[in-house]
Amino acid sequence: MEEYPEELRTPPVALISLVGCSDHHPAISGHLHSLQPPMNVLALPDFSKIQAVLTKKAKEPGAGDPPSGILKRDWLLKHRTRVPAVVAAMFSSAHVSGDPAQWLQVCTELENLKAAARPRNIKLVVIVVQSSSADDINEDRMIALRKRADVDSKYLVIYTPSDASELKQSLNRLANVFVELANTYYRDEGRRMKTRVEKKSFSSIELNIRYCFKVAVYAEFRRDWVEALRFYEEAYRILREMIGTSTRLPPIQRLVEIKHVAEQLHFKVSTLLLHGGKIIEAVTWFRQHNASYKRLVGAPEAIYLHWEWMSRQFLVFAELLETSSATTQTISSVTADNPDRGLTEWEFRPAYYFQLAAHYLKKKRSSLDIALSMLVNANEIDGGAESVAPSTFVGQFARLLEQGEALSFQPIDDEEYIHYALTEGKRFQDSYEIIALFNRSYESYSNLRVQRMGSTCGLEIAKEYFLVGDFTTAKQFFDNFAHLYRQEGWVILLWEALGYSRECSKKMGAVKNFVESSLEMASLPVSSDYIQSLGFKECGPAGPPSLPERESIHKEILELVSGELGVRSLEETNDLNVTEGNPLHLEIDLVSPLRSVLLASVAFHEQTVKPGASTLMTLSLLSQLPLTTEIDQLEVQFNQSEYNFTITNAERPHSTSKITSGTQNHRVETAASLSLVTNKWLRLTYEIKSEQSGKLECISVIAKLGPHFTIFCRAESPASMDGLPLWKFEDRVETYPTKDPALAITGQKVIQVEEAEPLVDLNLGDSGAALVGESFMVPVNIAARGHDIYSGELKINLVDVKGGGLFSTRETEPSTMDGHHVELLSVAGAEWEDESQKEAEKINNIQQSFGLVSIPFLKIGDTWSCKLEIKWYRPKPVMLYVSLGYSPHGNELNAQKIHVHKSLQIEGQNPVLISHRFLLPFRRDPLLLSKMKAVSENNQFTSLPLNETSILILSAKNCTEVPLQVESLYVEVDEDCVATSCLIKPGSEDLAHSGLLVPGEEFRKVFMVIPQVNSSTLGMGTVCLRWRRHPGSGVQVSCIQEDSVLTRHKLPDVNVELAPLTITLECPPYGILGDPFTYFIKIHNQTQLLQEVKFSLADSQSFVLSGSHNGTTYVLPKSEHILSYKLVPLVSGPLQLPKVTLTSVRYSAGYQPSVNASTIFVYPSKPHLKVADQREGRTESVAAK
Amino acid sequence: MIVCVAVVGHQNNPLYIQSFTEADDALKLHHIVHCSLDVIDERVNNPKKSGPLLNETFLGLLYPTENYKVYGYLTNTKVKFILVTTDLDVKDADVRNFFRRFHAAYGDAVSNPFHVPGKKITSRTFAESVSTIVKAFGLSSAG
Amino acid sequence: MGREVSESCIDSLVTEMVFSFCNRFYADKSDLAARRIEAIGYQVGHQLSERYTMERPRFSDHLEAIKFICKDFWSEVFKKQIDNLKTNHRGTFVLQDNRFRWLSRMSVEPSLETGQEGENKATEAMSMHLYFPCGIIRGALSNLGIPCAVSADISNLPACSFVIRIKA
Repeated sequence: MEEYPEELRTPPVALISLVGCSDHHPAISGHLHSLQPPMNVLALPDFSKIQAVLTKKAKEPGAGDPPSGILKRDWLLKHRTRVPAVVAAMFSSAHVSGDPAQWLQVCTELENLKAAARPRNIKLVVIVVQSSSADDINEDRMIALRKRADVDSKYLVIYTPSDASELKQSLNRLANVFVELANTYYRDEGRRMKTRVEKKSFSSIELNIRYCFKVAVYAEFRRDWVEALRFYEEAYRILREMIGTSTRLPPIQRLVEIKHVAEQLHFKVSTLLLHGGKIIEAVTWFRQHNASYKRLVGAPEAIYLHWEWMSRQFLVFAELLETSSATTQTISSVTADNPDRGLTEWEFRPAYYFQLAAHYLKKKRSSLDIALSMLVNANEIDGGAESVAPSTFVGQFARLLEQGEALSFQPIDDEEYIHYALTEGKRFQDSYEIIALFNRSYESYSNLRVQRMGSTCGLEIAKEYFLVGDFTTAKQFFDNFAHLYRQEGWVILLWEALGYSRECSKKMGAVKNFVESSLEMASLPVSSDYIQSLGFKECGPAGPPSLPERESIHKEILELVSGELGVRSLEETNDLNVTEGNPLHLEIDLVSPLRSVLLASVAFHEQTVKPGASTLMTLSLLSQLPLTTEIDQLEVQFNQSEYNFTITNAERPHSTSKITSGTQNHRVETAASLSLVTNKWLRLTYEIKSEQSGKLECISVIAKLGPHFTIFCRAESPASMDGLPLWKFEDRVETYPTKDPALAITGQKVIQVEEAEPLVDLNLGDSGAALVGESFMVPVNIAARGHDIYSGELKINLVDVKGGGLFSTRETEPSTMDGHHVELLSVAGAEWEDESQKEAEKINNIQQSFGLVSIPFLKIGDTWSCKLEIKWYRPKPVMLYVSLGYSPHGNELNAQKIHVHKSLQIEGQNPVLISHRFLLPFRRDPLLLSKMKAVSENNQFTSLPLNETSILILSAKNCTEVPLQVESLYVEVDEDCVATSCLIKPGSEDLAHSGLLVPGEEFRKVFMVIPQVNSSTLGMGTVCLRWRRHPGSGVQVSCIQEDSVLTRHKLPDVNVELAPLTITLECPPYGILGDPFTYFIKIHNQTQLLQEVKFSLADSQSFVLSGSHNGTTYVLPKSEHILSYKLVPLVSGPLQLPKVTLTSVRYSAGYQPSVNASTIFVYPSKPHLKVADQREGRTESVAAK
Repeated sequence: MIVCVAVVGHQNNPLYIQSFTEADDALKLHHIVHCSLDVIDERVNNPKKSGPLLNETFLGLLYPTENYKVYGYLTNTKVKFILVTTDLDVKDADVRNFFRRFHAAYGDAVSNPFHVPGKKITSRTFAESVSTIVKAFGLSSAG
Repeated sequence: MGREVSESCIDSLVTEMVFSFCNRFYADKSDLAARRIEAIGYQVGHQLSERYTMERPRFSDHLEAIKFICKDFWSEVFKKQIDNLKTNHRGTFVLQDNRFRWLSRMSVEPSLETGQEGENKATEAMSMHLYFPCGIIRGALSNLGIPCAVSADISNLPACSFVIRIKA
């Protein structure tokens, strides 16, 4: 696009001419330039010049003669720079209103101007420059001036530059006038041309095209894009028709001219379309343009002109598309809207056109080369073409003849033209142009992440660099883009790229790169299928992709590395060779493209092995190289370098030198043959014996192929081996690296060497279930049976059986001590009493569920033991893991450790279940008001009467399976309770009997409680039970610490309140059948108030009773009222005394003594009680329950 | 005239590529087929909103190059068929028909128990039926 | 498809194949046998899916492909559709066939082997027969571009559910 002249590239600009008063020209032209759209100014200082500018040159040949060209080359330029639409004559007001001589001059100048402008229809404007606003202009003169100039009054403008605001106004006025007149001028001109077109008043088709073009240009001047487009298209259409008919010029030049004109018209059309945002139309238009001219190749000797032209079409359109801002935004919507037009998304992308431009330029170059080569003598063309130059018509060339001052053009024949064109063609370096085009395309594609198209462009760039001899750059490009083909398996494309790359390396003398490319090519899966269709030339230096070609490449490399032959590169100085001074070392890893050259699979036949035992290892090598390759020597390397070994080829005994320097006692194996046949596994199986436990891994295999050529190949496990990336798509039989298919699926290049069998016993004493609270002892015994124990270490781990192993359940039970339900307290062992300080510290450092203990040196036969002290805080089953690690042979740092593991599950149990209950004194019932309400409110607290003696019975039940010895049971008052708030004293003296509890038995103790504070939540304290396992009750005695254990149980709070009334029932301890006794009901008023109490006594069939059944009585404050009855029991046995119901009127609460309290046992006759009274009491108390 | 047909696997690897020209442009056809995968990617990733084309196996004209037109077809199994023709005026219906027959031939070829999924198609029967279909295409578009 | 094969032939073929791999080629290497049977199923599924999807538009998401397996594919292979499809919407699908053809004619003979051990053996033999359909599903889906793992569950015969876990 840059090569187009500016007047073609940019839309036309109206031209105004200013004459006279040159001082004011800069201001006016500056203003006109800044207009939108701008106007050009042709400023002429005085009137004499205008004549020269405006006078027409000699009239073109008569209308009858056919024109000698379609478009004049300078027509557009002329309208931009020489032919103004409007001429503005500027006169100063002084002159206008000056003396008659001045006036006369004004008139003359005006007349001359008119005479010059009229024939060409150029519009006239008269400007009178008023030097100051104060200046008076003679009105008559003004009218006269207007008449002379023959202009409308509005085209006589007064220009006042004196002050800023006036100047601005004048300029705007001027601009408006100019715009209006210019439009008129171009409209008139356009109309004139249009009539000619419409009336078909032209003598030849060339003129038709020219007129259409002119109409379009004039329309463009007026910004009438629609009309411009219509006439450009019309011109284009007519031009296309002309191709077959025109005979004016010799055939080659004729076509050249038409194409040039077509190019201009097409450019205009595309520009207009794109600027109008009609991108789809533009693309469609270009497609048509391309289609209609693509085949117009022209004469064979000038064919390259066609390709050049084609290339330019694409380039220009690409650039237009690129600059058109609409492009990028609307592509997706555009393609979405137009599925029917058959436009593809690619056709909206500049990259596509750049690529094709480059493509056509390549075609041009090759045709040009052919054309040049056909010339017998290259110098021949240089002479004749010198004076040929572009002629006055677009697309025409002619010989420039100098005849004195004047220059004239003489038409040339086609031969001369071709000569000229070839000379021109030779001047350009097409390669760099092509690279630039492809590069633009490539970058554009890369930005769109269109990698394959981009790669194609990249490959083309590389080929151009290769052609111009820039091998370093070329190779870089080839290698970059080969990657994509390798990745996607496009073998033929890869072959091509590699072939170039290989050639570049050769030219550069880079041996390693050369060998790598060659080996990769030789191992590519190309077979004979492709030969038929691929020519030699097409694939570049690689030659056709075929098996013979691969073989010859392979052979070349074999010879090179064997040192027999150096491959000559172009420059004699850098021969490719592999010698002692220039050895070659290739590395092949898991992602290398050279994996198909050499693939090493290593599989141990077992996954684990005992130390010292030997196992088998299969080393399998595979190569896809076409020829059989003989390996001189193989070295197998392990992660433990002492196992490295070398395999030598028995057929080549001379080459036993080591590849890498290793230890002296290096293992050397000899194999009968180390020939690698194409696609056939070379399997070698060797015995490996490992002494050291741990991981033994084969790292790599190094193959030596010639005296100075080695390939380092990373070992792969068959189990995790990927297929060869390119060969995996080939339809061929795949074989396993090992004979055993199972091993091929599961085989690993790593083997785990196990530890030696431990010859040490580790025993954990099983002591049954642990009890919460006690320090539970687990004895650990170590007996060195067959090994000495050096630097032994005992690891102890406590893990929750239910999984996890976490003891901290803080989130659920925040009250737990340190979050641990089970804790490893200490490790106690007699052996290291002396250094216990240190050990204790060591254990303290570690967590509560984990311990680490050092074991002293033990000789064979020695034993050692310790005890683990574990404490349970919650009943919970726990896994105890103990592992002993030791080394049997001395204290060296790297000595192999042997481990023994033991585990034991231990249940944690609650030893006792403590329960309690409160009782009121026998046959004494306080009226507790809260109890009355409690029925509805479900009060959780037990209520106790204030200052009354209540009875607390504590019982502890043995929940374990072992007998427990209870040492003491007492209630500890909480610290925060005042000592006097509640008096708790044991109801009886301390344990009379032994306190031994067999499993399931309950221990009970009675306390008297006298609450002394009226409180709704009185803390009762904590029950403390001191117990121990009963000695001599089990076999595990030894492991239980003899200290007694304190189990605590918090009592719930109670509600204490004052009972206003208390009833006490009094009767003998027992009755005798028929024997009357007295039954007292004592009502005690504890308040300061008079209490009215209603009472009633129900009849009972068991008794005959005397006394009042119902009644109301008043009990004085702080006094007692006694109701007494005489009762005669009628039957024997436990009998219910007649039921008493009391109702306190003040509290409207009625209550009855409990059933228990009103029971009496009646003997048939008087018993002979010889047993102690204590017994009797006990029986009764049991009965009372 | 069809100058090239290709089957490209779901890893964009060529499974079958056959050109039908006398000229030395097989390599170029390889490039064209390879590049057309970009268009397929683009078209599949940015599907057109218009209804009937959505997820259709036939992808239509992929792109015109200097002398060729490239058509594409993407099966449900992510296998791409690519057709390169020199005909300037091709009816979509003909291409659709071609691809339908081609797909059938492909289906037969990969259903061969000796064919390993994902590998190149080397079946001679397939090659024969492809060349029959290709020839038929020329006839139908000419008539 | 013009050619049809007798159903009982197919049943016998499947049974024989499982038997041969389990008891002849890979006796006492049941995992290897399972692997081989699954691989055969994979290839069958791979090829069938190519054929059965020929005349239909491409699937736009995983669910569509799974539905295709449940309906059209299953009908073609087993002459019935999957009875129930469940998914967690995170790549796991459960396909339940209430009367899976290849299990419908199988039974565990109670008299021969009783007790826990016998039952285990029967279940194991049964599950051997399921590697083949699992492979078919996996092959079909992976040919549709959905790599996945398929397992089968037979808790109450002859219903059978296949669990498909799509690999991300």
